[in-house]
Amino acid sequence: MVPPQYYLLLSAAVFCIGVFGLLTRRNALLFLMSVELMLNAANINLVAFSLYWGNVTGQTFTLFTLALAAAEVAVGIGIILVLYRNFDDVDVTNATTMRW
Amino acid sequence: MAGILDFAPAIVLLPFLSFLIALGAGRYMPKGGALAGIGATAGSFVLSIATFFAVSGGQTYNQTIYTWAEGLDAINLTFGLLIDPLSSMMLVIVTLVALLVHIFSLGYMNDEGETGLPRYYAGLGLFTASMLGFVVADNLLMAFMFFELVGLCSYLLIGFHFRQDGPPSAAKKAFLVTRFGDYFFLIGVVAVFATFGSAAFAGPDAFPVLAEEALAGEHSVNTFLGMGEQAWFTVVGLLVLGGVVGKSAQFPLHTWLPDAMEGPTPVSALIHAATMVAAGVYLVARMYGFYVLTPTTLAIIALIGGFTALFAATMGVVKKEIKQVLAYSTISQYGYMMLGLGAGGYVAATFHLMTHAFFKALLFLGAGSVIIAMHHNENMWDMGGLKDKMPVTYYAFLSGSLALAGIVPFAGFWSKDEVLYETLIHGLGGSPILLAAYAMGLLAVFFTGFYTFRMVFLTFHGEPRSGTARDPHGVRWNVKGPLAVLGVLAATTGLVNMVPVEKLFGIEGIDFLHQFLDGSFSSLNAHHYAELIPYSSGYIGGEAGTVAIGAAVSLGFALGGAALAHVLYNVPEPVEHTDKLGSIKTVLYNNYYQDEYQVWIATGVVQPISRVLDKFDQGIVDGVVNGISSVSLFAGGRVKRVQTGVVSNYAALLTLGLTALLLGLGLLGGWFA
Repeated sequence: MVPPQYYLLLSAAVFCIGVFGLLTRRNALLFLMSVELMLNAANINLVAFSLYWGNVTGQTFTLFTLALAAAEVAVGIGIILVLYRNFDDVDVTNATTMRW
Repeated sequence: MAGILDFAPAIVLLPFLSFLIALGAGRYMPKGGALAGIGATAGSFVLSIATFFAVSGGQTYNQTIYTWAEGLDAINLTFGLLIDPLSSMMLVIVTLVALLVHIFSLGYMNDEGETGLPRYYAGLGLFTASMLGFVVADNLLMAFMFFELVGLCSYLLIGFHFRQDGPPSAAKKAFLVTRFGDYFFLIGVVAVFATFGSAAFAGPDAFPVLAEEALAGEHSVNTFLGMGEQAWFTVVGLLVLGGVVGKSAQFPLHTWLPDAMEGPTPVSALIHAATMVAAGVYLVARMYGFYVLTPTTLAIIALIGGFTALFAATMGVVKKEIKQVLAYSTISQYGYMMLGLGAGGYVAATFHLMTHAFFKALLFLGAGSVIIAMHHNENMWDMGGLKDKMPVTYYAFLSGSLALAGIVPFAGFWSKDEVLYETLIHGLGGSPILLAAYAMGLLAVFFTGFYTFRMVFLTFHGEPRSGTARDPHGVRWNVKGPLAVLGVLAATTGLVNMVPVEKLFGIEGIDFLHQFLDGSFSSLNAHHYAELIPYSSGYIGGEAGTVAIGAAVSLGFALGGAALAHVLYNVPEPVEHTDKLGSIKTVLYNNYYQDEYQVWIATGVVQPISRVLDKFDQGIVDGVVNGISSVSLFAGGRVKRVQTGVVSNYAALLTLGLTALLLGLGLLGGWFA
């Protein structure tokens, strides 16, 4: 059996890729993808611990999280569409009308 | 106990009703609402007479009518009625004078074509109602409330001609000066509540009785500022006295009263005879059981009274306007009442309050009649020779003047003499302060005789000194009627209390007022007060001898003053004679610079202090509040710049925050150790 720290390393790597994408990209779609990466990093963690402790609760949780992520993407895409309609672009740094 | 006394609340409510009627419907009624006022005061007068006789028969009434604030295990604040000999006598005086003033107003206001009559009669009604409410009040707080209402009404009526310059300013002055005194009164009311837990005048928890028992050591009361009971009672007495000094126009708060002459003359009559000014002295008489317990307060009352009597009388001798002379005589006469109260002459002072109410109302209404005749010119130097043209006014006025000057057998002689007599015997009993006050009072008798007859001679005798005086405007029955009634009263009311005659000739039982005021509540009658008086009596040549000497001396002074006035002014072409006074003349014309120094106190002392306090308020108190808000605003202005609107920045901040949190947890949790 693969030791759990490998899973955790994988999860941390995926999460960091997500954070990196979030901080460096300006395209809203890439934002969405980065967020999905971070979410799935958390899922990997859940599944890994579930396996390690021999308890299926974590895996059940993951199923729910996947469904939630799907719903979130629907909302996110909707927001991106509105963004595009209002600013003719999906660059998030252009949409600054809600600042102080 | 169903009797006439159960109708006592109506005495107060009737004039109040006339106030509402005159205010609401006065302009649709004939005579501008005067008839409602006359009807109401006549009704009150009849009820007061009935009350008076019921009280003479030994009945009394002490009931709480309405509790308007109920305390839980504490003080109840109530309205109630207390009818005893003192208040029933005052009810008769007030309602009678108010009735006559209403009738007189028909001649003075309606016939002269004044405008704003409903407002005038509404004011008169409310004035009468407030004074009656004050008279029957059964506790100090209720008395204070009606005291204030009286002050408000005087403000409204003095400022009746509000389109001219003088009256509004005089009204403001009257209001503010009396308010200044009332401020102390208010603190005194609170002090009475705090000390005794009750402010009732009569009954089981009457505060004068509680004070008496506390001094006897029977139970304890709350005192403050670490004072003993005697000292604390003195302080409370002096606080309440502040209101009295303001309302009764005693030195140094008398300055509002001469200015109050700006009001219509019938209002002056009402203010000076029966309401407002009388309220102060009545208050002292009402809670006399409390004042007799504190000799210091009594001495101060006597000194203020004696000094005011003399001080005001000297100012009265140089005045040109007839109403000004009367104004200063009012201050002086109320000084006598205070002197009487302070000297332990409760009955004497009450007696003078009664006789003065009649003869001063008479003099003011007489002056009003003269003013009508002179087309509203009040300067006595433009009058002269009016006695043949207006005989009714002349004889009535003369009766009032003889009473004011204290010439036997007119009313003022008996009452003023008794005040002076009480002061003299208690002074001889070992009180130099009272002797000093007596000397001032006696000297004032001379000035009273002088200014009174100077006024009479200048107004009615000699040759007419102006066109209007040669051909005066006539007056009607509604002026002459009240004058006749009061003229008779001024001549005769002294006969109800002929103490000198009783003492000299040994005729028992003609001191009716003494007997009357001895009746009713044992804690409120004259007999009880006489036992508590902290003075002893001394005599020169026995009681009868002292009476004779006192009466002869005061009568001699009065006649001397009158004779001097006769010599100087009862000539066909009188001149002022004031130049003989030299520099004193200017001082007297300027009323001893009383107004000036009070204005100086206001602008020179109080205003700078207020300015400093204002600086403190604006700078320190408001400064702290404003400082806090500007710091918040400044900080908010800086911190809000975090909200850039760029989502990447938010994400970066979130990440940084997470990192910082993890680092912090790690460091504290010892992961890196």
